[in-house]
Amino acid sequence: MADRADLLQGTLDLLILKSLALGPLHGWGVSKRLRQLSEDVLDVGQGSLYPALYRLEDRGLVTSEWGTSPEGRKAKFYRLTAAGRKQFAREQSQWRTFTGAVNLILAATQEPA
Amino acid sequence: MSSLLDRIARRIRALRNPDALDRELAAEMHAHIDLESQELVRAQGLSPEEARRRATLAFGGVDRFTEAHRDERGVRWLSELWADVRYSARVLTSSPAFTISSVLVLALGIGASTAMFSAVDAVLLSHLPYHDDEQLVRIFEQDSPTNRWTMSDVDYQAIERDTHSFSAVGAARPGATSVSAGGDAERRPAAYITAGFLQALDVNVLAGRRLTLADEQPSAPAVTVITEQLATEKFGSPSAAVGRTVTIDGLAHQVVGVLPAAHASLANRQADVWPVMKRATPKRRGPFGLFVIGRLAPGVTMASARRELNDISVRIFPEWQSGFQDRAARLTPYGLRETIIGDASRPLSLFVGAVALVLLIAVSNVASLAIVRFMRRWRELSLRAVLGATRGRLVRLMITESVLLSVSAGVLGVALGWLGLRLLQGFVTGIPRLSEAHLDLRAISVALTVALLSGIAIGAVPALRLLTKGADGLRDGTRAIGDGKLTTRLRAAFVAAEFGLALPVLVAGALLLASVARLQRVNPGFDSRDVLTMTVGLPSATYSDNSSMARLFTRVSSELTQLPGVTSAAYSTAMPPDDQGNNNNNFNLVDQPVAPGAAQPTVTWPTVTPEFFGALGVPLLEGRMFDASDTLKGIPVVVVTRSWAKHYYPDRPAVGRELISGGCTACPHTVVIGVVGDMTFDRLGEPGEAVFSPLSQGWGQPLFLFVKGDDRDGSLARRVRDVVHSADAGAAMSTTISLDERIHSSVAAPRQLAIMLATFAGAALLMAAVGIFGLLSYAVALRKREIGVRMALGAQRSQVVGSMIGGGMRYAGIGTLVGLSLSVVASRWLSGSLFEVSAVDPATLGAVSAGLLGVALVASWIPAMRAAAIDPVDAMRPE
Repeated sequence: MADRADLLQGTLDLLILKSLALGPLHGWGVSKRLRQLSEDVLDVGQGSLYPALYRLEDRGLVTSEWGTSPEGRKAKFYRLTAAGRKQFAREQSQWRTFTGAVNLILAATQEPA
Repeated sequence: MSSLLDRIARRIRALRNPDALDRELAAEMHAHIDLESQELVRAQGLSPEEARRRATLAFGGVDRFTEAHRDERGVRWLSELWADVRYSARVLTSSPAFTISSVLVLALGIGASTAMFSAVDAVLLSHLPYHDDEQLVRIFEQDSPTNRWTMSDVDYQAIERDTHSFSAVGAARPGATSVSAGGDAERRPAAYITAGFLQALDVNVLAGRRLTLADEQPSAPAVTVITEQLATEKFGSPSAAVGRTVTIDGLAHQVVGVLPAAHASLANRQADVWPVMKRATPKRRGPFGLFVIGRLAPGVTMASARRELNDISVRIFPEWQSGFQDRAARLTPYGLRETIIGDASRPLSLFVGAVALVLLIAVSNVASLAIVRFMRRWRELSLRAVLGATRGRLVRLMITESVLLSVSAGVLGVALGWLGLRLLQGFVTGIPRLSEAHLDLRAISVALTVALLSGIAIGAVPALRLLTKGADGLRDGTRAIGDGKLTTRLRAAFVAAEFGLALPVLVAGALLLASVARLQRVNPGFDSRDVLTMTVGLPSATYSDNSSMARLFTRVSSELTQLPGVTSAAYSTAMPPDDQGNNNNNFNLVDQPVAPGAAQPTVTWPTVTPEFFGALGVPLLEGRMFDASDTLKGIPVVVVTRSWAKHYYPDRPAVGRELISGGCTACPHTVVIGVVGDMTFDRLGEPGEAVFSPLSQGWGQPLFLFVKGDDRDGSLARRVRDVVHSADAGAAMSTTISLDERIHSSVAAPRQLAIMLATFAGAALLMAAVGIFGLLSYAVALRKREIGVRMALGAQRSQVVGSMIGGGMRYAGIGTLVGLSLSVVASRWLSGSLFEVSAVDPATLGAVSAGLLGVALVASWIPAMRAAAIDPVDAMRPE
């Protein structure tokens, strides 16, 4: 099993939004998709996942409804709202700017002139 | 925007229906676990059971999950509060004895406070029902800080003519007179007023018009304003009354206006008819008797109005000096509201003080009970602390519980307050404007605020214990903290406080009762048994001269004495024992006059028939009684009471002395012809000084009729009325009241005050007794083992009883000492309401303290006996 990494604070919302941007999913599906996409590096605990989903729903970024999973079981499906899509785009670009800057700093080999 | 609304809607749903959301959460959780175990079976080939076990394990604690979700719903504190309230309600209903007694005790305290607030609000705080009522003043004649009286025509006309300080002044002559509108004449309250009276109050009529200055002209037709009630009663409606005729004192008056029902009384003077007062042409400074009010002009202060009135007083003095020599007399303005409130603030402040003490006792009582409960629940609280409840959460629980208790008491208290106010209004007479009091929203908010504060105070004690000892102490599970000395001492302090607070209320009640008892035992100087009294008024239009009045009144009295059972019938212008100053007159002794310009002595000076003294059993002590020789043409004569004679002629006979009556230097001197026994006209307990003139030297009316006779079959009143009516159908009579009744009602106000205070004292005493009983009962339960051990080691039952009672009495004793000092401090509040009893009367203080300690003894006795009945073997058995 690959090394696990702790989730950076504040990134869980972005990851959930991303996984839902690819299509509606139930809670378990979100956690599985995050595990798969991160190649088992990130494993989001249910104790954080579901509160986060509720928080996003409360903020109007996702909506939920009960449906039947491809596995044939009744489950609650989450999907992005229009506001959620916008929020995802915004957070994604912020994340890219932020990680780009961090990478630049970490890649530096000499003092700036 | 819509998302915000959605969020609010979601939260409300979450709050209103937490169970449904929790169910949904559980369903989602199960779905997750199912899916995870399916995956585990497929991917790793585990058995379904093993897969399920792993999935559940991976999911983590269900409760943590649920709690975390609730947090996300953002209603945690609200739902916790709701849970606390439901929990507290369950806890409170599970111990009904504590809950019911606490709620009742608090509700009584809160109810009494609410009723008292409403009363004080209406009587002392609220405005008069006139716009800009602080501009309204009442004007008196005044010659010393303690002596003020009504005004005369001269005074009123001078102010009306010269003032710049008032935008309007008005005069009223209140009284009662015969009123008829077609039917029989009835004696009704009436007040003659000037046009300025309604103008100054700025009261508008419901129908018709107000009075005008033109109406005051002697040549103008007689007109009147009447109340809406009379208009409806006599003419069907206010508008139908305008233009109709009402006969007032035998003279036809045209109704020109109707006052709305809201103004059934004006400036606290009640009357059914308000006829115009015709402008008089004064011949001398007196007589006084005018009730005068004024409205200060905009921007004029009370001080400048006082200066202007002072100047007017000085200016008019010389012109009338021959008949009025009181150089110090000044026209003096007072705020109308303060003159109406008058002495009412004294009984009310006593009530308020007593109610405040009773409320404090109630709160102490419940607080002390709450501490017991808190200690009983120590284990439960410890368990909660161990399970992770924070200190703040437990404190909140304590406060929630006591506030729930006190707010329930507050709701009940509002109901009790409403009832209390009704009782107060029905029971207490003589406090102006009390009838206008009602329980409004402000009173209700006061009640609930008092309830809330009491609840916080009650919960604060255990909460503070939690905060100082902390939840850590709870987790240790040591019982010692809950049963600690400090907590017991705290309770003891509450019990001592209850006794300390109860004592002043008891002392006040006892002193007032003693004072009333003395008042009722006072010898009024006359025999009130079997004497009926009533007022008889003759229409002045028909009986305008002395001889016509003399003829009718003499005929009536001689016919009355012929009635079977009647022994005598007499007339007087004054009613004992409380004539309310209606017959006051000033005089000057010819052989020892006061200094020129100084105020002359005044005395109650009734005019009576000689039978008056016989009917009331007042003996003639010296000289002679009035007889047929004392006529209008003869020298004016008087008889005086023994006290008057002793006062002015301590070592010489009073008979034969001469005096100048009413400051009339031009009149013939009045001669004292006899001395009679004392009788009081200035309230029971006041010295019985009086001077009497004979009606034969000048009849007047209305007169009080006194009929002494046997009224065994209760028909005397009717027979008397028949005689008067057959003499003149136009004579107006008041209802008949026995003289006994008049004496009884003359001490009504102090008696009501005493009974009110005694009621509060009873409540205070009961609560203090319950407090000490509760404290000791708990101590017995707590020290059962210890007592058992001591008894096993040879302690006598009497020793156990002694130590228990001794413990209780110590707190009661400390409280009583504190209460005694409080009583002495508070005594000056009371002294003005007492008669012949000192506010720090040692006998009363001693007796009340002893009584209070006696009650404490009885209340301690029962738990002490219970302690003595403890079986040592049973008590020492391990728990």
